[in-house]
Amino acid sequence: MPAFKQHPMVPQTTHDEQARQDFVSALRGHLSGRLMPGAYQVYAARVEPAFRSKHGRGPKDEHEVRHAMTEDPYYQFWSAMQRRSQELLWESVIDPTERQLPELIDRARTLGKRGRGKRRGTLRLDPKLVVPKYHTAADIHLQPGGYHTDFTADDVAAGAVYDKGINLYMGGALGEENNLTGDTLLAYVREKHPSLKPRSILDLGCAIGNSTVVWARAFPKARVHGIDVGAPVLRYAHARAQAMGVAVDFSQQNAERTDFADGSFDLVLSHIVLHETSKSALTRVLAECRRLLKPGGLMLHLEIPRGRTDIEKFMHNWESYNNNETFSRYMTDLDLKAETIKAGFAADAVLVDEFAPKLDVAQMNYTEHFLWKILAAFKR
Amino acid sequence: MSAAHEPPRGAKGHRPQVFDDPAVDQLYAAYVAIATELSVAFERIDTLERLLETQSGLSREAIRDYQPNESVSAERQQHRAELAERLLRPFRDFREQRIARANRLSDTGPGD
Ligand SMILES: C[S@@+](CC[C@H](N)C(=O)[O-])C[C@H]1O[C@@H](n2cnc3c(N)ncnc32)[C@H](O)[C@@H]1O
Repeated sequence: MPAFKQHPMVPQTTHDEQARQDFVSALRGHLSGRLMPGAYQVYAARVEPAFRSKHGRGPKDEHEVRHAMTEDPYYQFWSAMQRRSQELLWESVIDPTERQLPELIDRARTLGKRGRGKRRGTLRLDPKLVVPKYHTAADIHLQPGGYHTDFTADDVAAGAVYDKGINLYMGGALGEENNLTGDTLLAYVREKHPSLKPRSILDLGCAIGNSTVVWARAFPKARVHGIDVGAPVLRYAHARAQAMGVAVDFSQQNAERTDFADGSFDLVLSHIVLHETSKSALTRVLAECRRLLKPGGLMLHLEIPRGRTDIEKFMHNWESYNNNETFSRYMTDLDLKAETIKAGFAADAVLVDEFAPKLDVAQMNYTEHFLWKILAAFKR
Repeated sequence: MSAAHEPPRGAKGHRPQVFDDPAVDQLYAAYVAIATELSVAFERIDTLERLLETQSGLSREAIRDYQPNESVSAERQQHRAELAERLLRPFRDFREQRIARANRLSDTGPGD
């Protein structure tokens, strides 16, 4: 597993803070790699047969699986531990971030001014932007304050916490620059659309710009934009990209309706964003993508697999019921192709694909046999 | 911590109850926190032992007979308070959620 790469916006850790983060990461690796697969075994060996002998048939859908599984002591044990590890994960990164917050805010200001002309990225915030309810109702995957809350002026804490936090979340499997999602979608493009040479790229829901930077590096001639609803993650994204010497234009906008002109982009992307929106927002985002694309332009959304069998669906939806990924369970049976056609794309220009990149690092227990879902559509 | 603003350590949203008895959920929560702190303490001892080994000059007796002075005592006191805070946070959050829910119920009446 490659170590998390330090850059000037990453808070330093003391001996004990580091030990705490290391333990949380180890615990999560153990829970995902060793204990979680056991839930499938328990289901096959105990829960399903017990259901069968009680009802004279197997569970007919994910909900019946849920009722049976949530009564099982092994599942309960894993679930309680998983939830707690997620809480401790954020705690372990919030402590060092808070300790160094004034310096981080200063550094972000200084980095923002670095570089000139084409080599310099920009940041445009909109204090009037209304953060959608699907973010404010509950803190998504339990990060206190979510992506959007400013706790102090020019806050960057949510960005710093998210950067280190998601790296621990996957026990480092996201890569040394949390580049796995960007790399995966880029690998898909290289394989399926090798001649694509976009001059303008928009990354929706870019958060700290971890994927955005991947695209800006891959297509250095392209103008690359990243948008998000969260101000503190964008301030951090801007400073981080500046520190890496990658020019990206970040702006605070809702992907449901942006202020870019019609036909502004060759490529409009998102990486693991759709499942954190809502049903109506999803429809609007897809229509907005269509509006923003040039004729012949390509829309790509990378999404997390949601399982095929009922027990797989149930296990994937743990995040929805226990980790405030509230909308994600509604995506389980959502017909993405139909939604995309509804948004105005031609039926034969839409593809819901699956993709497993060749991983060049041991991505541990997290992404093995992991088939990403990719929604692809051309604008005619 | 003296920061003027203290961002929350807990996430907004409903915390699901896994076990029939909520006390069991609370015990698990505390148990994982203890395990974390145990791991931290272990690494600290390990660091100390390795530094002692290479930089020597210190005897086991010195460690056995060590008496913390006032400022060391205060630091340790602080550390214990922080550990207690980490351990007990789930209980506090639980209480606050219950109170918040009770308040919501009494605001809106039954059926909420
Ligand atoms: C899980 S993060 C994805 C981070 C990044 N794209 C990656 O590849 O890791 C989801 C991001 O989408 C953003 N987001 C969700 N809904 C949005 C919307 N309607 N408009 C803009 N950004 C949105 C969130 O604020 C959050 O930063």
